[in-house]
Amino acid sequence: MKPPFYFRYIIIALVCAVLGIAIVVQMVRINYSPTAQDLISKSADYQGVEKLVYPPRGTIYDRSGNILATNKSAYELGIDLKFVVDPESIAFAAASLFDDLDYEEVYSLANTEKRENENRYFVLVSYISEEKILELEQLEKNYKERRVEARSTKPSLQGLVWSSMQQRTYPEKFLAANILGFYNYFSRETAQGVYGVEEAYNRLLTGKPEKVFMPNDPYLVEALPDIDPGASLILTIDREIQAMLEETLADAIEWSGADGGTIIVADPETGEILGMASTPFFDPNEYWKYEETFPGPTPYNRAVGTAYEPGSVFKVITMAAALDSGVATPETTYTDSSGVYWVEDSWPIYNWDGGAWGEQDMTGCMQHSLNVCLAYIACDLLEEDLFYEYLQAFGFGKSTGIDLAGEANFPLRLPKDNQWVILDLATNAFGQGIAVTPIQMVTAVSAIANDGKMMTPHVVKSVVDQGQQYDISPQIINTPISAETAEILTQMLTTALQEEASTALLDGYSLAGKTGTGEIPTELGYTSSQTNTSFVGWGPSDDPKFVVYVWLEKPSISTWGSEVAAPVFRDVVEKLVVLMKIPPDNVRLTLSSN
Amino acid sequence: MKKRILQAYKQAPWRVQIQWIGMFLLAVVLISAIAGVYLSINSQAAAAGRKIQSLEYQISEMNKEITELRSDLAAERSTENMMDRAEALGFKSIDPQEAVYLRIPGYDPDGELILAPPRLNLISESPVVKSSYKSSLWDWLIENIWKMTGGLSNFKEESTP
Repeated sequence: MKPPFYFRYIIIALVCAVLGIAIVVQMVRINYSPTAQDLISKSADYQGVEKLVYPPRGTIYDRSGNILATNKSAYELGIDLKFVVDPESIAFAAASLFDDLDYEEVYSLANTEKRENENRYFVLVSYISEEKILELEQLEKNYKERRVEARSTKPSLQGLVWSSMQQRTYPEKFLAANILGFYNYFSRETAQGVYGVEEAYNRLLTGKPEKVFMPNDPYLVEALPDIDPGASLILTIDREIQAMLEETLADAIEWSGADGGTIIVADPETGEILGMASTPFFDPNEYWKYEETFPGPTPYNRAVGTAYEPGSVFKVITMAAALDSGVATPETTYTDSSGVYWVEDSWPIYNWDGGAWGEQDMTGCMQHSLNVCLAYIACDLLEEDLFYEYLQAFGFGKSTGIDLAGEANFPLRLPKDNQWVILDLATNAFGQGIAVTPIQMVTAVSAIANDGKMMTPHVVKSVVDQGQQYDISPQIINTPISAETAEILTQMLTTALQEEASTALLDGYSLAGKTGTGEIPTELGYTSSQTNTSFVGWGPSDDPKFVVYVWLEKPSISTWGSEVAAPVFRDVVEKLVVLMKIPPDNVRLTLSSN
Repeated sequence: MKKRILQAYKQAPWRVQIQWIGMFLLAVVLISAIAGVYLSINSQAAAAGRKIQSLEYQISEMNKEITELRSDLAAERSTENMMDRAEALGFKSIDPQEAVYLRIPGYDPDGELILAPPRLNLISESPVVKSSYKSSLWDWLIENIWKMTGGLSNFKEESTP
């Protein structure tokens, strides 16, 4: 017998079953419908944010730990469409606070259809200061009060978002800018170091950006991975020496009326560059003004980026070759009877003053900077094979390998080249018809100041990466001459300076050096009205601690290196010995004997 | 007889009801306990997640502050500022001819700048651990089977402690 209301129970059960099945069917249908797929893909946008985290760029220090380049905080301002409720207020705030932003443009961005998944975030402006952000925060606070009063959702800056970012800064401004280069940080994706150390060590300084997913769901939150910052660099540059060089160079250019110039100070024992000043001066904090400061082909750093005919400073190299090969000794004499040397009876070579200087030993040839004597040494004593062999051993014709971007190199014209003529041999001997960079000259001359050992010039002393310091060891490029030759030549040039009573001399210090006046080639040939004046010197002569190279381009006060570059060398050395704590010779010898 | 025995051992209806109620309540308590534990763990995970987010933000803010302070300090200590401050304090550049030089034993004016420990030679400083202490049983087995195929005498030499 069936219980009462049996059929009613059956009907209710069936209805429930049908409803249950319908719910399940509907769930499956919704899950696999195109709308559901769209919703699922949209939900992914709300699960979190994938960010590319840029590690902070490495800091650059001078040799004493003073910061030359570091980072500071700045902000990026953008619009996140999914939060925008009041495009008008956003456009008004942005346009009123930032001159570069236009109301209409910002409004159209803020009012973009939010359902478009792509481009949900727009960057409005980058590298804005904290002060501007504080102003925005204050404005938002005012708007909030107004919303509460009006019981409205407007005005509101919701959707206008800012995030912090790092901006490259050079606290010393102009100081050492020609060595540091700059970092064009405005476009973070394409930013890179340009010129100098920033370019040469860009990969190390930058570090490795990493993609990090930052979930909104607190259950999924994990600690962000440690992202190693870019490596820091300790330079060989001494900030005090660099500042002194830049000040001296600026004064020298003003005094001499030169178009430009460079001064390099190097340690001959290690190849470390202690200072390197070059004009024009430039503030890398405003790197976008590069075109204004360096119009046309103006080099960023003359010391490494410009090859020029050095003139008589090159005689040092010719004399080194003659002494080392044994074709000449300090006592070897040359009789300058007419003031002219004929190259293969076809081309005359004259002295700088056109005069004849009679019988001279090799010290006299250097002291009076006799072109005819050096042409004779190259053509008659060394001859082309030996002469160019030494030039190549001194590194001319190839880059020095200095760790700065933009090193120039002018190929050396050799006897095997079609364009080479015998006249080249004679003119090369006194630094004409050959183009070298100041850093090549410093590197070559350093060999004479360092017992014949030529060191690789470098500006980076150590790299600090992942908590460890890697010191860069000095490297010998070559040993073009013997220690004995180096000592003899240093003594000859010390005597030559003293007997000449050069304006390069400094009381109490023995210095070796040589002036240079290079005529500048033009389309019409060499013209004496425009010259490159140079001086290369090192000291103390018995134990050289520094090599100083001065080059002033086209001075108007005088065309002679002895009158323009030599006094600048003296000014530099006078301050340099204090900064390097090098006492006068008598004090130094007394202290060392004690 | 059989009926009497069954009757003797049969639970009273009220006892059966109480047992069912008890079992139901036990199930409820168990489910509640599990749900409670689950809730507790989840709330702790959420709180930890929020804490991590907060700490990450703090780290980011502190890094920003450190960066800012470092750049401010560098600007304050720039050559230009230091020169101005020195001049304001009455200092002037030294005349090289007036300089007095003293030898101070132990003082190195050109000491090397050390910003981080020197590079470690990880290879020489790593502890020497025999490979047999680091390999798994499976590795050891494979290695020795391979050695056995290379010659029994060789295997014996290697496996002898």
